[in-house]
Amino acid sequence: MTAALTIRRDGDTFLTLSAEGTATGYNGHVDLGTGLQTALAQIVAEELELPLTAVQIVLGDTARTPDQGPTIASESIQIAAIPLRAAAATARAWLLQAGALRLNAPLSEVRAEHGHILWQDQRLPYAALLTGAETLPLDDDAPLKDPASYSVVGHKAGRTDLPAKLTGTFDYIHDIRLPGMLHGHVIRPPYAGRDSGPFIGRSLIGYDEPAVAQMPGFVAVVQQGDFLAVVATKAHLAQAIAEALPVQWHQPPDLPDLSDPVAAIKDQPSSPRTLDTTGDIASGLGECTTRMDRRYVWPWHMHASIGPSCAVADWNAGAPLVWSGTQNPHMLRADLATLTGLAPEQIEVRRHQAAGCYGRNCADDVAGDALLLARALNRPVRVQLTRAQENLWEPKGAAQIMEVSGGLTATADFHAYAYDSWYPSNRGPNLALLLTGVITPEPRPSDMGDRTIIPPYRIPHKRITVHDMAPIVRAAWLRGVSALPNTFAHESFVDELAAEAQEDPVAFRLRHMDDPRQADLIARTAEAADWQPRTTPQLRREGRMAYGQGFAFATYVHGPFPGTAAASAAWVVDVAVDMTTGEVTLSRVFVGQDQGLVINPDHVRQQIHGNVLQTASRTLQESVSFDQITVTDQSWATYPLATFPQTPQIETLLIERPNDPPLGVGESAAVPAAAAIANAIFDATGVRMREAPFTPEKMRDALGIQPRTAAPLALPGRKKRKTLLATTLGLTAALGLGALSFPLARAIPKTPAPAAANFSTDTLSRGETLFALGNCASCHTAPDGTANTGGRAIQTPFGTVYSTNLTPDPDTGLGQWSFAAFARAMRAGISRDGHNLYPAFPYTSFAKMQEDDLFALYAYLQTLPAVAQTTPKAEMSVPRPALAVWNALFHRPQTLTADATQSADWNRGRILVESVGHCAECHTPRTALGAQAKTALTGAMVQDWFAPALAGPAAQLRSTDDIAAYLSTGVAPGRAAASGPMAEVIAGLATLPQGDITAMATYLASLPTEAPAPLPEQAATIPDRIDRIFTNACASCHEPAFPDMLTAAQIPLTRAPAVRAPSPAAAMTTIRDGLRAPTGTALRDMPGFAAELSEADIAALARYLRARYAPDLPAWD
Amino acid sequence: MTRTDEWGAEQVTRDLALVVNGQAVTLHVDPERTLLDLLRDELGLNGAKYGCGMAQCGACTVLVDDAPARACVLRAALAEGRSVTTLEGLAHPDTGALHPVQQGFLEAEGAQCGYCLNGMVMSALALLRHTPDPSEDEIRDALRHNLCRCGAQLEIIASVKRAAQLMQSAPQ
Repeated sequence: MTAALTIRRDGDTFLTLSAEGTATGYNGHVDLGTGLQTALAQIVAEELELPLTAVQIVLGDTARTPDQGPTIASESIQIAAIPLRAAAATARAWLLQAGALRLNAPLSEVRAEHGHILWQDQRLPYAALLTGAETLPLDDDAPLKDPASYSVVGHKAGRTDLPAKLTGTFDYIHDIRLPGMLHGHVIRPPYAGRDSGPFIGRSLIGYDEPAVAQMPGFVAVVQQGDFLAVVATKAHLAQAIAEALPVQWHQPPDLPDLSDPVAAIKDQPSSPRTLDTTGDIASGLGECTTRMDRRYVWPWHMHASIGPSCAVADWNAGAPLVWSGTQNPHMLRADLATLTGLAPEQIEVRRHQAAGCYGRNCADDVAGDALLLARALNRPVRVQLTRAQENLWEPKGAAQIMEVSGGLTATADFHAYAYDSWYPSNRGPNLALLLTGVITPEPRPSDMGDRTIIPPYRIPHKRITVHDMAPIVRAAWLRGVSALPNTFAHESFVDELAAEAQEDPVAFRLRHMDDPRQADLIARTAEAADWQPRTTPQLRREGRMAYGQGFAFATYVHGPFPGTAAASAAWVVDVAVDMTTGEVTLSRVFVGQDQGLVINPDHVRQQIHGNVLQTASRTLQESVSFDQITVTDQSWATYPLATFPQTPQIETLLIERPNDPPLGVGESAAVPAAAAIANAIFDATGVRMREAPFTPEKMRDALGIQPRTAAPLALPGRKKRKTLLATTLGLTAALGLGALSFPLARAIPKTPAPAAANFSTDTLSRGETLFALGNCASCHTAPDGTANTGGRAIQTPFGTVYSTNLTPDPDTGLGQWSFAAFARAMRAGISRDGHNLYPAFPYTSFAKMQEDDLFALYAYLQTLPAVAQTTPKAEMSVPRPALAVWNALFHRPQTLTADATQSADWNRGRILVESVGHCAECHTPRTALGAQAKTALTGAMVQDWFAPALAGPAAQLRSTDDIAAYLSTGVAPGRAAASGPMAEVIAGLATLPQGDITAMATYLASLPTEAPAPLPEQAATIPDRIDRIFTNACASCHEPAFPDMLTAAQIPLTRAPAVRAPSPAAAMTTIRDGLRAPTGTALRDMPGFAAELSEADIAALARYLRARYAPDLPAWD
Repeated sequence: MTRTDEWGAEQVTRDLALVVNGQAVTLHVDPERTLLDLLRDELGLNGAKYGCGMAQCGACTVLVDDAPARACVLRAALAEGRSVTTLEGLAHPDTGALHPVQQGFLEAEGAQCGYCLNGMVMSALALLRHTPDPSEDEIRDALRHNLCRCGAQLEIIASVKRAAQLMQSAPQ
């Protein structure tokens, strides 16, 4: 489509007008979710006198937009929009001229309005003038409109992208799909987040492609250096194959201990760059009557985009197209050119919006991944990073160390300021370049530590130094860059000086502020925010809460030093500090901001809100954790963001300066945040926080608060272990003495079992039901084995046994077993060949079965498909012959006799529960000798699961209806939900006739005779790391915001058997492995956390659950 | 073809029937895949977003039989035969008129980048069906497990309030 009018400069198009009179603006920056697209459209509409709906903006596509550098430093409106505005003015001037000519009117008398040229009573639409194909050079001096006449700029205009975003039709980068597209899943090396050192790009030892090549959807494994990825036909298949691919890596070297950022950062090489040497710092410091030395520490942060990065690439016969959510399309194109050896002009980057990034996240890296795969396959390839990949590998917002010496004269004047800042960060070299070895992995320092490094106050003696240094872990710009930590130091120190001077902190600032425009912002913000002047901290207390108010101010300076000033912002923040828990809550944040001309007031306020909330989260709770090798925070579980309940009220004051140029607002309101909050905490408590984040733990340390902890309780687990050991010895001794005096059983000769046709259908059907009820398949099927062929390992206190082959295979299964042999095994625990079976096989229960049921089960087993499968040998500390002793001591094989005083249902239920159902095998505690205790069905640990009480005061399910519902579906709504092995039992019960379910429920409901023990209320918690893990990883399902949330847990944790178990094993198993609802039940899934949480965290989380949800029971050690 | 997943379950493709935004659909898929995966990759419904895959952020929220669900942890097998409503299914099917909740978010501009927007809208809908006139605290509480990194929380709260007004005045 040829434009009717094109405004160009140096080969770049900035604006076109169509023959219909609509405009398209072109800008090399991108919309990061800030509403830039709308703001630029407003600027064009204003200068061009068009309705906003007639203006489109194209952002970031390398083939269509000028290279205006990366979208960073809040400079889109302030700098990148200037040529666009000039282009619109150029076009308006041309339209006026053309209109005057057409109307035969003097140029001075025509005007433009709403897409028309007007003269006297004549109105000529732009379209009437746009009949050719004119190209004009961009005129930087084209006359601009007087801001006083603005009707679009400075006024409300709705976001142009929202309707599509609200209906699911907006094309985010994640939503791009091309015909014939394949899916790549990257496999990253173990040195997550590292970017320098000789191991980078050289750690891959090998991988076993044939092991996965037969998996569904497999297309290829692509490798270059340490770049490794699987390509498949579907994304989920690519991920499954990538997770299955065996890969060997060299172990990376250790990181410095990053839990101590001061030592870690100052130990690294750095080069000082002194930026301000006003006066004579040595003598200045010497002249101070009040002298203070302070260190402020800022942690590593994540960009923490809500959507992990994604890209699509098409090799396109050597002229690649790359769809990307990058912040810097042109810079990315240059990196991709380096990666592929192509010229930049051969590559086209098409920019689509991504999740908000606030800086350099993995968007560029994943574009490199996609292009490498597209080249290897010569097909379009999409790569979507996982949450863990994004978190582990994104270049972090760098930690920063700020050391200050300064002081006051006797007249309380700010006299000297020596400032040193260490900022281990660079511009984030593309990961694909590093992994493939296309660029060398040497440390690459950069120069971005100097943002807002000069404090805004009049100080006679200064020495301001930034120590440029390479990252320790990948780090690049994040909102506020180094200006935020630099301001944390400056504005905290100024506050400390004011306190030393016993002067109001705002008055102290104003007394040292020469710049009238900044002074005006400070004074007007303080007044509008109802600032309470004070000369000492106010220390306002009400009950357990301390209240305070803090102030901070900054002008965000970006770009190479001395840089360019964006908007200035001042904060007044009100905090509440809980003096029992150490929690800091922001109740109100007031931000005054001077951004010159306001393009869109609503969107400026939205940027202020976003800056406040994001930076409050960073300041109060965020910091990246590391182990010896790498970043450890894979999800929001351990890197939590502030949430809705933590959102303070925010008020804004936008200083009206319509005649001053517009200044960037994307970051300015973030910059004073940390200092303002720290200063407010000082006002509330008298304590200075100099190390972010200000977590409850750090606050408790600073305030000297001891967290309340439950009194240590007796440790039943340990005691029990002793008992167990003692009696185990006893058992061995007893067995050793007695074993030989007991006769061993004889073998029953091999007899071919009757063919299936010999049994009646009723018998087989009954057998099938009993087989399901007994859940035989569960134990008699190995995890990866063929159904019912045995081989499943069963751990017992005395060693490991393996289940046997139940199929009628003549050599390894039951094919040569007569019914007599089967019945003996079931009732007496003696195998056909005469050897004793270990009581892990629940013959003590099966012995109670009715003879006809036993026969039906035997018959059904003979109809299973015969499969040869030899049973592995048991590894037990107790010899098999000794089992005869055990049987003599504990086994009472007899069928049950009916209790005439009970109903038929009850009697039937009793038989099912106590015999083939073998409920007691799990639910009855065992003595140390492995026999069932007398306290039948009162709950027991079974391997790493807990079988809860069915009888006794702890039994939770008591009504026939509840129990029947539970047995039928796995769920008694609100009361109980099956998990672990019991979920499999429920699935097995699906084929059971309803009458049997009712019978079992009737019997089980009669078991608890004591009054139920009341369930506890949950106990209060202490805010700490584990509490945060629960809140951010568990609470969405276990304390759901909606009672009917379909993916939430079905019962409260106060009722969860795993939490009420004697040991934490079941809770830990569940957290680690998650739960999977078997088919046919009404149960739900739970994701496992083995990949996200360390074993220590899982254990601590289990203890937390116990303390919070089962406070009536002894704590777990 | 079959394979075995980490749970030891055999994964096979088979027909799986659902109702999505009022339309009956049958997909020939592996029922072990998540509902989110099917909506996005098989049905091209992009409203629900992948954010964490662990039910932590809420970006994938859909309604299943009118109950909110985190589609990233919901195996398709567990949604089988149910009625799923996604962001795309809210506007009037004939006129395209926005649902009052969408309209509330449009008017109060309850998004910056908008990646979390799906979860906010679907959760707001779930809230307003039970609580037509929520207090600000009730709104904050209902959205406490929906993350927004841009810091649009205040605009989102205002959007839910506006949506409540619009829903109450809308003809039922």
